[in-house]
Amino acid sequence: MDEDDVVRLSGVTKTYWLGKVPVTGVTEVSLTVRRGSFSVIAGPSGSGKTTLLNLIGCIDRPSRGTVTVCGKDIARLADDHLADFRARTIGYVFQTFNLIPVLSAYENVEYPLLLTRTPVGERQRRTQAMLEAVGLADKHGQRPNELSGGQRQRIAIARALVKDPGVVLADEPTANLDSRTGHDIITLMRAMQQRLGTTFIFSSHDPDVMAQAEDLFLVRDGALVDRQVGDRA
Amino acid sequence: MTTITIAYRNIFRNRRRSIMTMLAIIVSAMAVVLFGGYVAMIMLQLETEFVRRSGHLQIFRAGYFDFGAGQPEAFGIGGYAALIDRLRADLVLAPKLRVVTSTLAVTGIAGNFAEDASKTVFAQGQVPSERERMRHWDDYGVGSGRHRTSALSDDDVEGGVIGIGVARMLFLCDDLGVNDCPAPPADLTTRVVTAQDVPDEDFSDLTALDAVEPAHTDPRPKLDLLAATAGGAPNVVSLAINRAESQGNKVIDDNFIAMHLTLAQRLVFGRGTPKVTAVVLQLVHTADMAAARAYLTRLFVAEGLPLEVRDFKDLNPRYGQITGLFRAIFTFIALIMGVIVVFTVVNTMTMSVMERITEIGTLRALGLRRGGVRRLFVAEGLMLGMIGASLGVGLALAAAAAINGAGLTWLPPGNADPVDFKLVTVEAPQLVLSAWVLLMALAALSSLLPANKAARMPVVDALRHV
Repeated sequence: MDEDDVVRLSGVTKTYWLGKVPVTGVTEVSLTVRRGSFSVIAGPSGSGKTTLLNLIGCIDRPSRGTVTVCGKDIARLADDHLADFRARTIGYVFQTFNLIPVLSAYENVEYPLLLTRTPVGERQRRTQAMLEAVGLADKHGQRPNELSGGQRQRIAIARALVKDPGVVLADEPTANLDSRTGHDIITLMRAMQQRLGTTFIFSSHDPDVMAQAEDLFLVRDGALVDRQVGDRA
Repeated sequence: MTTITIAYRNIFRNRRRSIMTMLAIIVSAMAVVLFGGYVAMIMLQLETEFVRRSGHLQIFRAGYFDFGAGQPEAFGIGGYAALIDRLRADLVLAPKLRVVTSTLAVTGIAGNFAEDASKTVFAQGQVPSERERMRHWDDYGVGSGRHRTSALSDDDVEGGVIGIGVARMLFLCDDLGVNDCPAPPADLTTRVVTAQDVPDEDFSDLTALDAVEPAHTDPRPKLDLLAATAGGAPNVVSLAINRAESQGNKVIDDNFIAMHLTLAQRLVFGRGTPKVTAVVLQLVHTADMAAARAYLTRLFVAEGLPLEVRDFKDLNPRYGQITGLFRAIFTFIALIMGVIVVFTVVNTMTMSVMERITEIGTLRALGLRRGGVRRLFVAEGLMLGMIGASLGVGLALAAAAAINGAGLTWLPPGNADPVDFKLVTVEAPQLVLSAWVLLMALAALSSLLPANKAARMPVVDALRHV
């Protein structure tokens, strides 16, 4: 694995079982994602984008092939080690924001640092800085249900970036937002990626997102059908 | 922000459901503490009553307990005064002792010849002042009630107390002012003594006794007590009845006579060496009973004394029966309450897990371990239990204080006199603490099942859940 590659998938196949019927999520996918890149896995609904993202995000294991993230073969890690690895290495931005409703905006952003047992002073400094970076420092005490969709997604972005992860995965992060807010979110993420040098991998079929991609992977029916690698943006 | 903080906030997400769950725990805690306090009250009052009547320990001549009833002459303890002195001076035993006294149990016939009535009785010779002291034992503070002062006194050797049944059957109700005494059947009141009724026996000894006794100036009603002496000859003494008292038990009421020890000894031993059937020991604390009994047993074996020791539980088998019954009822109620708590908490936590599947997936995706998810839900169950049990115990203590402060009295099983109705709650901290801890533990354990379900959920499936 090239040191510049933060993610490598080699011959990855994922099969789900729907009762007793096997359903193939992705078939024989091999790809690499460059460190610090802004990559998009694009394709129509049901093409296998989310499956690939789940495998890269270490919340699923391949049926066949290897998935290596930041140098770790995830198939070799036990469940608790995989959880610890996710806590340190992977940032998530979900389509439906998935903020914890009983936590304030500040606490939501702070939460990943609790999982990595970051010292309290460092935790406060980074959380505050991240809230300021996404422009929501003044909303720190508000619960998710007191925030707009765009604000929630900003908090989710801050939560994903606060632990300085090796890779941030965003599963159709604009799908639940209006086009203007969606555009603002993509712009924010792009800016953060450029500022922090973090690797971003999106799954999306939003043209606005695809237009921002440096590396674009097109999937269809579970197979990687095209890749456009290089600074496309 | 810890697991506890998150758990605390989560339990108020669905307030109504959490409140209903807490209510079940509150009711359970109240039921356990209040009924436990009631059972503890019964046990302590029962123990107090028995210890007041028969002391903690009684020393008998070996074999008396099983074979000696009604045979004081054969199973009497001679030299009992020396034995009592010895016990009172014993360095190990003395600090534990409150009262050491002696008693003589006699079976005989009590006759009210003025009414041509007689019946068999069970008489107990006592040292009145020492018995009176025993009646004030109240180690647990539950026996205050309404004290009946003793009708016997050390100076009144001829005086006695009889059960109300004895008074009734010997037609002494009017003389003794016993209320609610039913009128005897007509054939008893109109009975005429005929020559055929008089047995053809020689009563010259008895009449001779009357002849030597001084003329009575004592206005109290009298009974003549007839018993066999140690030598087997009949003997009679006259008992002046001070009062008829309820003994809380019909069989005892119908047969009981308490009298001065000296008079009882005069009846059984005449002018011979007086003996007693038992030396009664009342301890300061019941907690010392087993140790004192073991010590005495060792002492008697070491010194070759033909004596045995019995405790109040041996002497009053009803104590074990009654306490056993109430313990069983308490256990049953506690189990029912426990089952209700388990089902309620399992239901609540299962609903909570089902409603938060996506959230569980999110937490796992962020890096929370399975154990972390399990801890979160167990903490929620524990917190429901803690709040519910704390409120329940607090309310139970307040209710107990209100009940105890109301000045109610009641007649516990086996008691002759009413005593204060005082639920034993604060005085039994182990009961309150156990109820509190067990309910919390039960709530936490009940949430383990749904917590495990949440922890084992595949992350991908949880995130996909709508």
